[in-house]
Amino acid sequence: MTAFLIRRLLQAIVVLLLVTVITFILLRAIPGNVAIAILGPAAYRNPQAIAQFNAQYGFNKPWYSQYLLWLGHLLQGNLGYSWNLNQSVASLLGSHLPKTIALVGISTAIAIAVAIPVGLWQAVKRNTIIDYAFTSFSFLFYAAPSFFIGTVLILVFADKLQWFAAEAPQGNLWNDLTDWHAMTLPVLTLTLVTLALFSRYMRSAVLDNITEDFVRTARAKGVPRRRILFRHVLRNSLIPIATLVGLSLPGIMSGALITESVFNYQGMGYLFFQQANKQDYPTLLGIVVVVAVATIIGSLIADVLYAILDPRVRYVSA
Amino acid sequence: MGAFPGKHGRRSRRALAAGGAAALMLAAAACGSSSGSGGQQGNTGGTKAAGGTAAYALPPNVLPNYIFPFDSSTYFSTANTQYFQYLMYRPLYWFGNGASPTLNTSLSVADAPVFDGNKVTITMKDWKWSNGESVTAQDVMFWIHMLQAVGSADWGADVPGGFPSNVSNVTAVSPTELTMTMNQSFNHTWFTYNELSQITPMPKAWDRTADGASDCTNNESDCSAVYNYLNTQAGQMTSWATSPIWGVVDGPWKLQSFNSDGNSTFVPNKDYSGPVKPTLAQFKELPFTTESAEYNVLQGGGNQITVGYLPSTDAPKKPADATVGSNPVSGYYLSPLYLWSINYFPINEQSTTGNGPIDKQLYFRQALQYLVNQASVISGPLHGYGFPTVGPVGSYPATDYLSSTGKEGDPFPYNPAKAKELLEEHGWKVVPNGVSTCEDTAKCGDGVKEGQGLQFNFPYANGIGWIDEMVDQLQSNASLVGIKLNVEPKPFDQVTAIAAGNCVAAKISCDWDMALWGGGWSFSPDYYPSGETLFMSGSAANSSGFSDPENDKLINESLTANSLDPLYQWQDYLATKLPENWVPNGVYQLTEVANNLQGVVPQSTTGALNPENWYFVK
Repeated sequence: MTAFLIRRLLQAIVVLLLVTVITFILLRAIPGNVAIAILGPAAYRNPQAIAQFNAQYGFNKPWYSQYLLWLGHLLQGNLGYSWNLNQSVASLLGSHLPKTIALVGISTAIAIAVAIPVGLWQAVKRNTIIDYAFTSFSFLFYAAPSFFIGTVLILVFADKLQWFAAEAPQGNLWNDLTDWHAMTLPVLTLTLVTLALFSRYMRSAVLDNITEDFVRTARAKGVPRRRILFRHVLRNSLIPIATLVGLSLPGIMSGALITESVFNYQGMGYLFFQQANKQDYPTLLGIVVVVAVATIIGSLIADVLYAILDPRVRYVSA
Repeated sequence: MGAFPGKHGRRSRRALAAGGAAALMLAAAACGSSSGSGGQQGNTGGTKAAGGTAAYALPPNVLPNYIFPFDSSTYFSTANTQYFQYLMYRPLYWFGNGASPTLNTSLSVADAPVFDGNKVTITMKDWKWSNGESVTAQDVMFWIHMLQAVGSADWGADVPGGFPSNVSNVTAVSPTELTMTMNQSFNHTWFTYNELSQITPMPKAWDRTADGASDCTNNESDCSAVYNYLNTQAGQMTSWATSPIWGVVDGPWKLQSFNSDGNSTFVPNKDYSGPVKPTLAQFKELPFTTESAEYNVLQGGGNQITVGYLPSTDAPKKPADATVGSNPVSGYYLSPLYLWSINYFPINEQSTTGNGPIDKQLYFRQALQYLVNQASVISGPLHGYGFPTVGPVGSYPATDYLSSTGKEGDPFPYNPAKAKELLEEHGWKVVPNGVSTCEDTAKCGDGVKEGQGLQFNFPYANGIGWIDEMVDQLQSNASLVGIKLNVEPKPFDQVTAIAAGNCVAAKISCDWDMALWGGGWSFSPDYYPSGETLFMSGSAANSSGFSDPENDKLINESLTANSLDPLYQWQDYLATKLPENWVPNGVYQLTEVANNLQGVVPQSTTGALNPENWYFVK
């Protein structure tokens, strides 16, 4: 396992570098002048200021020199400075990332907690009205974009019934975690989208497993149905879910972007979207690094969980 | 100095309303030209109540991020100046009388400037900083020295050759009097509205570095270090509300709390010397990610927002003869805010795509202008909330600045037949719904090649509903005479980065033909609508690269004569020369005001907020 982890970490570093190189090149391909985008249209007045800015921040150098400069700063823990927002990127991530983690974390946890029993139940009750009903709900939420779900939830639960606020909590992280009147709808929006995905996978995994030989053998040996389900089928069915959760992280983050916009939640997804429009390279690169690291870690965790859940897997010999 | 496009968030529209006229119009609207569930004046019959908290919804994705009222171009924005700094730090001269963008001597820190030939005398009023010190002529010198020391790089409204280069012998004669000598005889209104308008006195408490007190007030050489110190302090957002530096204010409000998400809370400055003291106990600014998010909260009730806005796409169509249409939001009254501006899209005469020679032809620009249906855009996509741009001076509200010809309306009313005629007269084979080509190069104009087609790239700022629809309409109209506009939707900031200035002067790429960012030009903080920054040959903001000696001559005359006649002559000349192509001036904001809040209307067309005028009624 140790060798596996070391190998995966080395792979992760290479992947991370590739992600940053590709992102760096793509960002430079955005049309328009970087200095003017950052300094604002007023910079047109002063070509000297544009030249000074370019020289100061290396925008007058080839892209690879700029990249190496940025990478050098990154290795020293300096993610750069957002001119647009007048804050260091580290500070921006420090204020926005916890909000997104809270939103994504809570909604993913709820989605998993609900999807596993629902998927299991659907598989057990397959081709019944209950299964069809949940399948319909799953397809509905899986197909619907998160902005649509969020808007409908606001219309019903905020405007009409007035049970919850139409806006996410405005304040610090503690406020986000404690103000459930405001936090419910954004969490619910992201949960419904994720839940639909997870429950479908769970149902399929359970259906695959209950036809396996080991289940038939257990049944033949007289093992109680409940024990077969929870001890054998469930554990094996969780393997694809573990992988899915890890690999879904970027998708959930992108879903958070929309949800954050709809509910006026100043998280990282929304920050990325807005700064992309403003060509705020340091912020964009900082967020890309964080998301890439999260994705790699998510994938790593999935692999580790996979090994724990399925003892047949022998990474050491891989 | 001058204003600049962009940096006003997504609703980048600005126009002017003349005080009395606009107030009367708004009052007339309130009397019933239309009515909605929210009414239009709220609870006008109640009694004024002291205290309360007003929550103001900031435009989407518009956040204050700089507190030091010496903004570099990066931070020179409505969000930082009008929505934030002006609440605490008053400019030397305040512009905005009700809805009119004129000098307000009552709210100014100094008396109106007195001109004697080339000499200007500024007399300070007896205003106080919140630390008890007087606002003095030395505080003005502090700002001017700062400008002289670092302005060219760090003052967002700097114009090479403009203030302070055009003055000499700036002297604080006494704590209450300052004199300066202009290096030539300038139009007094222009000098006051476009040059002195930039100044914000700064307190002695700010004249320091990390090492202690400094003396930028008297020595320009000290100013660079002071600027660096203050700029660093302005970067520490989380400490703004507790900073002993930023806590010294002369405006009606003090910052009580601020977080980097843009949530601000202001409380009254008890030592404010101005004529109207705040009645509210608190004034809050709330950030929003999108118009929809704000509208959701507005509709959700709960009084989270006291002053918000209705997305223009959700606004019921306004009757043509009304000032305001019905309001779909209950508990609020609706008041449209137009800012003092013009709107246009440049046709790049310096284009390197091969179309530069065509773009230079006046007949071509006029043909395209005949295909802009301003009336239709106003009644359609803008739901009635807009005014036509009739030339280089704003058409709303009626001001003395607009010539009688300008008051006659759109100089190029929609006329595709005229557009076709102009093209055919100048050697083009017009191919409706195709691409017209030049057949007679002698008539097409210098540099236009035989067989060259009328097709152009056209980046524009997408995501603003009425702009998207206007571009679609223009593309369709242009196709009627075989002008193919290859529209390229892009984020607002990208379009301004490409096209909001003179690409040759800025030494950046000129590979675009036409562009529309939707914001046109705002006459703020230069309130006099002269054209030296926007239309003079080679000027930084002359994004089309238009060059015309007669235009330059007329502009110079308007800057020096103490009469409006040269301004009239200039605008009448330029309106049909089309240095830019005119498009409608859409509403900046459809403001929703809680029924129990008064004093918000008339709104200032300079974009400034005056919550010290607001009060709740019972």
